[in-house]
Amino acid sequence: MKALCLLLVLTISSTLCVDKNNFKTCDQSGFCKRLRPFKPEKSQYSLNLDTVIVHGNVLSAEVVTVDIEGEKKNVLWHYALKLTALVDSTFRVELDEADPLYPRYRPELALGEEPTADGLKLVSNSNGKLILVNEQGNKVIITSEPLKIEFLDLNGEKAVILNDNSQLVVEPLRVRREKSGDDDEGDVEEEGTWSENFKSHHDSKPRGNEAISLDIAFPDADHVYGIPEHTDNFHLKTTTSGEPYRLYNLDVFEYDLDSRMAIYGAIPVLYSHGVKRSAGVFWHNSAETWVDVVNYADATVVSSLVNLVTGGHQRRVDARFMSEAGVIDVFVFLGDKPADVFRQYSGLTGAAPLPPRFSLAYHQSRWNYVDEADVRAVDDGFDANDIPADALWLDIEYTDRKKYFTWDMEKFPHPADMVANLTAKGRKLIVIIDPHIKREAGYFVHEDATEQGLYVKDKDGKDYEGWCWPGSSSYLDFFNPEVTKYYAERFQFNNFPGTSKDVHIWNDMNEPSVFNGPEITMPKDCRHYKAPQDGQDGLASFWEHRHVHNENGLRHISGTHQGMLDRSDGQYRPFILTRAVFAGTQRYAAVWTGDNAAEWGFLQASVPMCISLAVSGVSFCGSDVGGFFKYPEAEMMTRWYQAGAYQAFFRAHSHIETKRREPWLYDAATTARLRDAVRRRYALLDFWYTLFYEHSIDGLPVMRPLFQEFPREEETFTIDNTYLLGDKLLVRPVLEEGVTSVKVYLPGKDSHTVWYDVDSYQSYPANGYMNVDVNIAKVPVFQRGGTIVPRKERVRRSSALMAHDPYTLVVALDGQGKAEGSLYIDDGETYEYKSNKFIYAKITYEPSAMKYSFVNEEASYPTRSWVERIVIAGIKNPPKSAKLSQGGKQIPLQMTLHRGNDVLVIRKPTASMASPWEILFTY
Amino acid sequence: MIYSAWLKKLQSFLIIVFTWVISVQTDVLRPRGVSLSKASLYSPTKDFTCFDGTSTIPFSYVNDDYCDCFDGSDEPGTSACINGVFHCTNAGHRPQNIPSSQVNDGVCDCCDGTDEYATPELCSNTCEELGKEARAKAQHLADLHKAGNFIRLELIEKGNKKRQDMAEQLSQLEKDKAEAQKIKEEKEALKNELEAKENEALQVYRDAEEKERQKKEEDERQKQEKEASEQFSRFDSNNDGVLTVDEIKVGNIFDKNKDGEVDAEELQYFLGDKESVNKEEFMSITWPLLKPLLMMEQGMFRPAEAEATEEAEDEEAEDVPRVEDMDVTGSEDDNLDGDLSHDDAEDHDIEPDNSKSYDDETQKLIDEATEARRQFMDAERAMREIESNIRNFQQNLEKDYGLQQEYATLDGQCLEYEDKEYIYKLCLFQKVTQKSKNGGMEVGLGDWGEWAGEEGSKYSVMKYSNGVACWNGPNRITMVNIHCGLETKLTSVTEPYRCEYKIDFITPAACDDSNYMQQQTSHDEL
Repeated sequence: MKALCLLLVLTISSTLCVDKNNFKTCDQSGFCKRLRPFKPEKSQYSLNLDTVIVHGNVLSAEVVTVDIEGEKKNVLWHYALKLTALVDSTFRVELDEADPLYPRYRPELALGEEPTADGLKLVSNSNGKLILVNEQGNKVIITSEPLKIEFLDLNGEKAVILNDNSQLVVEPLRVRREKSGDDDEGDVEEEGTWSENFKSHHDSKPRGNEAISLDIAFPDADHVYGIPEHTDNFHLKTTTSGEPYRLYNLDVFEYDLDSRMAIYGAIPVLYSHGVKRSAGVFWHNSAETWVDVVNYADATVVSSLVNLVTGGHQRRVDARFMSEAGVIDVFVFLGDKPADVFRQYSGLTGAAPLPPRFSLAYHQSRWNYVDEADVRAVDDGFDANDIPADALWLDIEYTDRKKYFTWDMEKFPHPADMVANLTAKGRKLIVIIDPHIKREAGYFVHEDATEQGLYVKDKDGKDYEGWCWPGSSSYLDFFNPEVTKYYAERFQFNNFPGTSKDVHIWNDMNEPSVFNGPEITMPKDCRHYKAPQDGQDGLASFWEHRHVHNENGLRHISGTHQGMLDRSDGQYRPFILTRAVFAGTQRYAAVWTGDNAAEWGFLQASVPMCISLAVSGVSFCGSDVGGFFKYPEAEMMTRWYQAGAYQAFFRAHSHIETKRREPWLYDAATTARLRDAVRRRYALLDFWYTLFYEHSIDGLPVMRPLFQEFPREEETFTIDNTYLLGDKLLVRPVLEEGVTSVKVYLPGKDSHTVWYDVDSYQSYPANGYMNVDVNIAKVPVFQRGGTIVPRKERVRRSSALMAHDPYTLVVALDGQGKAEGSLYIDDGETYEYKSNKFIYAKITYEPSAMKYSFVNEEASYPTRSWVERIVIAGIKNPPKSAKLSQGGKQIPLQMTLHRGNDVLVIRKPTASMASPWEILFTY
Repeated sequence: MIYSAWLKKLQSFLIIVFTWVISVQTDVLRPRGVSLSKASLYSPTKDFTCFDGTSTIPFSYVNDDYCDCFDGSDEPGTSACINGVFHCTNAGHRPQNIPSSQVNDGVCDCCDGTDEYATPELCSNTCEELGKEARAKAQHLADLHKAGNFIRLELIEKGNKKRQDMAEQLSQLEKDKAEAQKIKEEKEALKNELEAKENEALQVYRDAEEKERQKKEEDERQKQEKEASEQFSRFDSNNDGVLTVDEIKVGNIFDKNKDGEVDAEELQYFLGDKESVNKEEFMSITWPLLKPLLMMEQGMFRPAEAEATEEAEDEEAEDVPRVEDMDVTGSEDDNLDGDLSHDDAEDHDIEPDNSKSYDDETQKLIDEATEARRQFMDAERAMREIESNIRNFQQNLEKDYGLQQEYATLDGQCLEYEDKEYIYKLCLFQKVTQKSKNGGMEVGLGDWGEWAGEEGSKYSVMKYSNGVACWNGPNRITMVNIHCGLETKLTSVTEPYRCEYKIDFITPAACDDSNYMQQQTSHDEL
């Protein structure tokens, strides 16, 4: 889906380029301009040691700001500090005003569940220092004056330091003084305190300044990562000489590459990594946020400041978060390996649940498939060309003039039949539902929302009106539980005729996008629902949009999720795609990288963007294959399909003004390559499904950076065009035009890791960079020695039709001639797996035997699938014979050895996957 | 429990796989999924060699649900090979080849249900029914073509007649053209003769005018000389007949840039490289330069810049009618019925000045010549009209109206189609347009381009190209798919691709029963 009003479209030239003037720089964002140059000259934050209480897993104490300019050290303001120990080497630090004028907003939906407490002990309290320790043995040292909190790893070394640079700021809420005749009273308010302007937009700022800031130091770190969504490299760069990274969900038309500008998503989690350890912080805040990064290794910053502070070269990265509102609420992850910090974060915000299997297959979308006949023709086109596809998508034009939950009855008079045509082949339909509501008399959603007061209000309390696809629009206020309830009910099959359990939902424009709003979004002084509480009226009776902005899209998709659960009485797993992203999004939806373009740069950017999202909880990520704007010629289209086949969310999509580009509209050779790319995906679909099952259990990224598996290998720290799927496949998609060879980094030299080219089973010992020839058909993918990957070689029209097809197990041996893998099987769409209706099997290979056994023996699933082939790569000493043992029977097996590349193929073991089996080898 | 149940099923499945099928129609024994024409390639008594020749396998490996050949030829009856082909006989209907990926996938693809043999209860044999339907449909179409063919034959007749008429008209026009050419030549000769006489008579007047003009020139020259001489004397302060640098330096008038002194540059300007000028040199070199300055001084002359601007403006103003002239000339070729009065303007150089009065004799000659000119122009115009008609007829005769001119009478016929938002208009062999029902401009969706059907059915698709350009995109084009129908009308208009329109058009002109039958037969062979 696309981004901006047509007025703007008319002004663009043929080269794509964001109109930067529409979006704020730090200097144009009042609090960023105010806080960025902040120096702690006037006051400092100090902890009042007399007030320290440690109760359970919580330390609480009073913190005050002290005037350090005067002799007297006057106390300026009172704050409440809370430090909480949580399981899995995680701490939470909260700092709010002791008695704020109004409650300050805390995000409500980012955390999955209430975090689990760990033990916390006060070890000592002397010399102005508190020392605490959690149950795992991580120490915390709190210095009282000025306040500083150091978190130690298990070796007793500092891993994370809060407020080391005294950039802690919590601007106290104040009452606005009525302007009166005499101005002699007190200090003059800084300009911009009670209102700000950007372009033609006025922000009334009724609560005045309420920004917060904190610096976080990561000693021994080489790099920091995270805080998606940006188009920059995966490793973050020093921001001293430019703009900070910005986190503010925005619909950026034709967004820039290599930029720190905010785009659609904002996940305020940041990780550090060095040879010594990994650590991380999660900045639990939904307001506009800017993040400055200073990497001490960068020559540009080493010069003055850092040398002064550290006395020479040092491995360390400092980050500083600045948010417009909210409280200091930061989670500290002490790792100490990359996988640990990634898990610690996803544990906190909730690992993505198991998606329906079809959603991991190939999706075909376009703005727009124009009518039922078009949908039919595209559906048939896949069959005619023997290319699999699991879902067809309908963008905004399917609706009756952009009124969601309706159909354009001229073009889609029989939606139920259309869906039935698709489902007959195991395919699904996905339709778009955006959060803006057309203001049109007679449109039931608008009338209900108006009557029942379900819309977001403007600064004066009237229904806010903005401009979006339908023209004049209002926005459902998903912060109101009544709205969510109302909205969720819209998904009932009888409320949205033509839909069924096989119709899934795409939530676009949920930043929210407002074409005529400041920065193409909602004015910050719009009012959102706040649960009524006694004594809270006036400004305390609502939240401003500025407080909740980044959480808006999350609220939207959670409503959709609820609706989709309810419509099938909780039987079927919903699939939702969202564009806006916040911490916790992964619990409800997959994410795509928005409105990209058919340019090599965007293909390249898709990899680091998705790696960054994956380590930030959102493994289910992809980009519009082929590019949304512009037209990809055959080579780019081929490379994009090949890359997309190895990214979690695999969808081709395009802009309404562009040339059609279904795979068969290219020349026959290109169509064949696109078919091959899609088939590569389907062959590995059960592998993907297994990865996502394991992700739902362990929270580890499905698409992961090399250093997650090879944390001591420094070269990998900045590689972001190559990644791993699970710990098994290494993917280095070809992202460059016209290349005939690419450099592929094969990690694991020290551990004698062997990598196998998945096309040839040729083995390569890990030895850093290697040149790989890449003709147009080649995608460099390597299987790690020591792993087993399940494949389904019989690729059919859709994944549903492949459910019971046989497996090929690819065993890639390590140096010891061993390997292991796993396989998850269930019905692919229901929640029955929660009642033990699934198979989660471990597959192990040793020279003596290969075993398929159930991890959870309580669970089973009546699959009809079987093993048709076992490919053992890297076999030096092949067995003479093999026999299958299953269900008390023993069957001798046929084997073929391919001497050229040391591959042994077991022909047709016909072992059933419904129960454990074993293959015994004799030599 | 589950396991054993499935193992049983698996075994029975494998048994099914190995089962041979006996075709209903023939007694040729062949493996499942093999067409009759390929049956001989599968001989149970020999090892099987993959079609691509890459390997030879025991015959028991054929259709054993395991892919041994890269080309999939060993598994014609299973889904084991990704690039295999399954043949279904579909007795009672048309046989079909489907990709192996559709074998035993739970979807009935062959009407005889043979592709889903693993679950025999899944698909019923619908071939008889479908075959009947298809045959009925084919019959219906054949009837339609047959009925339409009568009209088509009429269209062909009319088309041929039309073309014949046009050819006749064309040859008549050629004759007319020769006639007109003759008249034109006669009129031209007459015109030339009378103009010569007119010219002779007018010469008297022209000579008189010339004399008058020369006299005026001479007077003017003398006046100038006198003035120059006076000025020379004025600056030649020592009256030595030579104007020196010093003498010039005192004259304010030579201070061109009005900076208070006559500098070297100014001297250079007025005297060239000389130190001094005598009267003769003054007259030829200095005076023409000096005169404007004097006039300026006397307020009779404006500085050069102002002059230049004014000239430029004048030029612009003059440009406008020139452009119009061009337009008029340009449109002449297209539009001969148009007003030709502007032609008069082209001949202004010959025409006498109407404002003057002449003696009666001369006036008579002028009138006669004017009449001759008018007649000549009329003759020319008639000639052009005929030529244009000839071009039109030639163009139409060159147009491809189908193999038998069946579309000839449809040329220029306009058909409309309305949908929710637009009214589309197809003027056959001319253009396609779209007009919004909410008003607004008519948008061109393409002008007649060519027949664009695939090989063998060239006349089934018309292409209208070069319509109005899309924003940020290509020019609109329209493809018109032609089907047989008893009436001539548009049955649908869609825009399947951005700016690429598709019109379905029925007409008896497309009802060719012989051609249709031929097509049907060739389809069956596939």
